[in-house]
Amino acid sequence: MFKARMKFAKEGRAKYLSHLDLMHTMQRAMARCQMPLWFTEGFNQHAYVSVALPLSTGYSGACEFLDFHITSETVPENAVEALNAVFPAGLRAIEIYPLADGGMKVGAIEWSQYRITWGFEGEIPTGFAEDVRALFSRPVVEIVKRSKRGEKTVNMRELMRDLKITQHEDEVVAVVTTAAGNNTMSPEYLTRAIRQYLPEYNIPFSAYHRMNVFTGDGIPFR
Amino acid sequence: MHKKMEAILSRVQKPARYVGGEWGSVMKDKAKVDLRFAFCFPDTYEVAMSHLGSRILYGLLNEQKDIWCERVCAPWIDMEAEMRAAGLPLYGLESGDPLSDFDIIAFTLQYELSFTNILNMLDLGGVPLLAAERTGLKHLVACGGPCAYNPEPLADFVDLFMIGDGEEIMLEFTDLYRRAQREDWSKQAFLVEAAQIPGMYVPSLYEVSYRTDGTIDRVTPTNGAPAVVQKRIVQDLDTMYYPTSFVVPSTDIVFDRAMVELFRGCPRGCRFCQAGYTYRPLRTKSKEVLREQAETVLKNSGYEEISLSSLSTSDYGELSGLTECMLDYCEPRHVSLSLPSLRADSFSTELMQRVQKTRKSGLTFACEAGTQRLRDVINKNITEENVLRACEIAFQGGWNNVKLYFMMGLPTETTEDLDGILDICKKVAYCWRVNTNNRARGVRITASASCFVPKPQTPFQWDAQDTLAVLREKQTYLKGIMKTKNVTFNWHDAETSVLEAVIARGDRRQGKAIYLAWQRGCKMDGWDQCFDFDKWMQAFADCGLDPAFYASRQRPLDEVFPWDHISCGVRKEHLREEWELSRTAAITPDCMHKCTACGASALLKGGACRV
Repeated sequence: MFKARMKFAKEGRAKYLSHLDLMHTMQRAMARCQMPLWFTEGFNQHAYVSVALPLSTGYSGACEFLDFHITSETVPENAVEALNAVFPAGLRAIEIYPLADGGMKVGAIEWSQYRITWGFEGEIPTGFAEDVRALFSRPVVEIVKRSKRGEKTVNMRELMRDLKITQHEDEVVAVVTTAAGNNTMSPEYLTRAIRQYLPEYNIPFSAYHRMNVFTGDGIPFR
Repeated sequence: MHKKMEAILSRVQKPARYVGGEWGSVMKDKAKVDLRFAFCFPDTYEVAMSHLGSRILYGLLNEQKDIWCERVCAPWIDMEAEMRAAGLPLYGLESGDPLSDFDIIAFTLQYELSFTNILNMLDLGGVPLLAAERTGLKHLVACGGPCAYNPEPLADFVDLFMIGDGEEIMLEFTDLYRRAQREDWSKQAFLVEAAQIPGMYVPSLYEVSYRTDGTIDRVTPTNGAPAVVQKRIVQDLDTMYYPTSFVVPSTDIVFDRAMVELFRGCPRGCRFCQAGYTYRPLRTKSKEVLREQAETVLKNSGYEEISLSSLSTSDYGELSGLTECMLDYCEPRHVSLSLPSLRADSFSTELMQRVQKTRKSGLTFACEAGTQRLRDVINKNITEENVLRACEIAFQGGWNNVKLYFMMGLPTETTEDLDGILDICKKVAYCWRVNTNNRARGVRITASASCFVPKPQTPFQWDAQDTLAVLREKQTYLKGIMKTKNVTFNWHDAETSVLEAVIARGDRRQGKAIYLAWQRGCKMDGWDQCFDFDKWMQAFADCGLDPAFYASRQRPLDEVFPWDHISCGVRKEHLREEWELSRTAAITPDCMHKCTACGASALLKGGACRV
């Protein structure tokens, strides 16, 4: 038995799967392609799988990680292809490797890079992109952040970096790196900050896509 | 998926149920099929996806190269409101195309209180509600399923009903439809021809006349339609189509597991049970075929649980052999086996040990009534001793979670019968105390009492349902006495059962009331948070219909029923004999012991049941 890690994408229709849904779906897909999953041996036997930094329901991601235990000595050949053949729409395995082969601790993740899409019905309001850029260039942007421990006012600028905003035909796209791990900040706070500080803009549609996750040193997580 | 939909999905509860794309869902090129078939389930996705019959027919239809069958479910109220506000029509889960793009729109009728959802789904899909308003061959609305045994309340909305097992008639229906498409028939010409398919009921081809007292005088077929529509059955379950895989929902549903069907029909003759009569004669699937189908379905679906489903699982002849060979496959793969519908009189230590091998869930025994007399009236053929013996085995085996089902409001019920419910519960609680090997762990005994609904095509079809006032009085009485340590008492809302009884034995005049109730906002009536009894009663009153006429009137034995021209194969005389026996609490043995000549065996080639 050893620990394996799968890097996968959760996109399209699959982005609406909740964390729990995703775990069940993964276990069933593994059963379909006869992945030799290791089961716990207790009273209620179940496969051991865990997702690093689960995405919020509705978010897509191209850099997701699932850890699981398998009973074989190596990762089965063609495991990626085999899984992709039995996944529901929107899930895609990218790489499967033994954790021992350079796999990092999930706790090492400190940053996530997201793509935020702000969509409008019809034309983009004039000045939106500029004003958003200006807002997040301020040294201090205070926002009330909610967590399990309650609400706290924080300067969100300290929890985000490398913001790049581009304007397209009917949407504005922001690529941003936000804090993950212990002091995590969801990219949704950028949209909230716009609503709070730039209330003249109505954003009918926003989508979030995780592009990458990094360790504190800025190394892509693996 | 377009932006509007994505924006909506980010706001509604459980969006995963609206997007499709599940493993096992079938994608085809719509340009390359002749017939687009919408398989509609008039309830939420979680309920719809749990239904075995729909899974079978979805697989069967999509096996046909020229047909693309998609699933359509009723959106929950938050989603519906969003869709209406955004002007988005109801759509097929596979293609996302509007319901109005489909040729055949078929609904499965599982429950009377889902009828308004049919109207709501058609409306949300941009399809005219009334059959008379849909003039072309496109948007043909067809129905099947248990409630089709009294199709009359839906006669205004539905073009045709398929009565009985759907596996064979479905393809005869789609074949004829495709021929009509090719040859450009009118809708009327198609319906007249379709009525010639055995098991097909076209309500618009029947004229109904009424007597001054409101009962039916006669039902007259026109255009050569048969006087009696005889249901269809599958002769041989072993060779019957069975899917090799299921759609595996990526989100949680009600019954989230693989299933195999042990048999169709039920050898018992419980007089209240509509399924027990309408699925006759009993047809069994062989152990070998079941094992093979279970393996295939498990392999292809990846499910971690399989249920052996039937109306009375412990009556499967070779149950122990079957579970044995199932477990051989399941155990090493960590697949658990569930056996629903176990009868208390056949629950053995051996059987218990088998189910226990995988996972220990709760046990449910249906006692149905509190006294032996009343159990004899309904022909439940189960004794208190059976129940206590089953509980003894369960408690000794370490179970500490037992559910007991009862009905209240059964014909001839008295206070003594209600007291009997308490009595059984007390005895079960005592049984736990003396048999458990771990008293500290405690026990959970749950007694549920639902309100009896007389159903068509059963011996109780003549019987009056207790009025709402009486049902409430009985509930209050039960709540008052059911105060025993370790027993939790649950009851069902009586109002839903009253409406269910009204519609279950309704006639086609009810169409107006159903329409009006829907117009006034009734939908998802099977869900407590949506059900509005007063609105329904008002709708009936405004249509000049008296709900009591349908629900709580003792019907004379010679009354012509709205469903008399729909036959499930059981003779009306047989039902009447059973009704008469019930009044003296005389029991009828089950089919395994003695044939009662109910008439259903005539549906079988060879004319004899194999039980």
